[in-house]
Amino acid sequence: MSLVVFSIAVLFTSIGAGVVGAILGLGGGILLIPILTLFYGVDIHYAMGASIISVIATSSGAAAAYLRTGLSNLRVGLFLVMATISGAMLGAFLAGVVPVRALELILGLALSYSAFTIIRQLQDELPERLPEDPLAIRFGLEGRYYDFHLEREVDYRARRVGFGLTAMFGAGLLSGMLGIGSGAFKVLAMDYLMRLPMKVSTATSNFMIGLTASASAGIYFSRGDINALIVAPVAMGVLAGAYLGSILMARMRNTTVRKLFLPIVVYLAISMILRGLGIHLL
Amino acid sequence: MSAARRARRPGSGHVPSVEHLVARTLLAGGLLGIALILAGGALYAVHGGFHHHTLYLNRPPGGSPPGVFTSVRQVLDGLRRRPLDPLAVTALGLVGLMATPIVAVALAIPAFLRAGDRRYAAIAAIVLAMLVVSLTVAGGIH
Repeated sequence: MSLVVFSIAVLFTSIGAGVVGAILGLGGGILLIPILTLFYGVDIHYAMGASIISVIATSSGAAAAYLRTGLSNLRVGLFLVMATISGAMLGAFLAGVVPVRALELILGLALSYSAFTIIRQLQDELPERLPEDPLAIRFGLEGRYYDFHLEREVDYRARRVGFGLTAMFGAGLLSGMLGIGSGAFKVLAMDYLMRLPMKVSTATSNFMIGLTASASAGIYFSRGDINALIVAPVAMGVLAGAYLGSILMARMRNTTVRKLFLPIVVYLAISMILRGLGIHLL
Repeated sequence: MSAARRARRPGSGHVPSVEHLVARTLLAGGLLGIALILAGGALYAVHGGFHHHTLYLNRPPGGSPPGVFTSVRQVLDGLRRRPLDPLAVTALGLVGLMATPIVAVALAIPAFLRAGDRRYAAIAAIVLAMLVVSLTVAGGIH
């Protein structure tokens, strides 16, 4: 394929990945890696390098907009990311020591359960109220955003902070051990465990994944996995797409975002169970 | 914690300043990165790069194909070379993009302090330390 055609095609693909990533709080790697490798024939290492840059570009395009409108909660993000990074550091250390396939199987089953919980709350626009958590009050894990769909301001405060922290640690641990992105788990933890509004969950995840990705980008860079010719159109497309996605998401219902999120969780659950059984989709 | 409770109506200018600063940093870093990536691409096109090189979709055994830099030093060497390596400009943009979230957290620390939120200044400092440790322990950007 000529470089010009490749660059233009990848640019447009990446715009799509950026839109989806911004809305769902994922880095877009879940879409980009399969498309780049299967469709464009890019080496898996280059695809992963492109994906890590796309995570940062998504974060920079979308989180900037979300932080301004209050959808992304800086304090919640910083508070929880401490647990994720500690988990990821321990995970990278433990990689190679633990039985990966058993882990993948467990993760696949946990994700299947999450898919059911998503289906159960599919119609809930805002989370039901659970008892207050003193930790949330102490650390100011709360906020307010203007919901364009509900046409009013929505106040929220995190619940079950201990569970949330544990899940974030687990998400980091798994991503460190299995080398997978943890955006989906972060969203699930904030939405389901901590009962933050779905849009706040994906927007805050967007901010957090940028931080963790920038810490791990260095290793991809020094390994030579980041090819400027492949990554340049990805970064530009994703940044533009993420900005566009952030505008779209602000106007969506929480339930719509959750419906879009469901197939991602189902896909992750299936691919993890298959990996656990020794079948790699990719 | 009053900062988090302040009204955040779009366009009303009541957005807490730390959030605003982090948002601005993320956007500025992203745009600066993209500008450099574009500039590198444009120079590359002017020098006929798009016609001369084949794109390596697979990693060739031994040696790096054009467009692959494995350290900041290599990027800087490419920038110092005459004629300038246009892909080094693109790579500089990518390095800038990679560093942006870390810079944003670093800038948040004094901003939290100014806002009187010592607890979150400490949390941001912990996050920054963790990011730097994982970046250096992982043997990242030299």
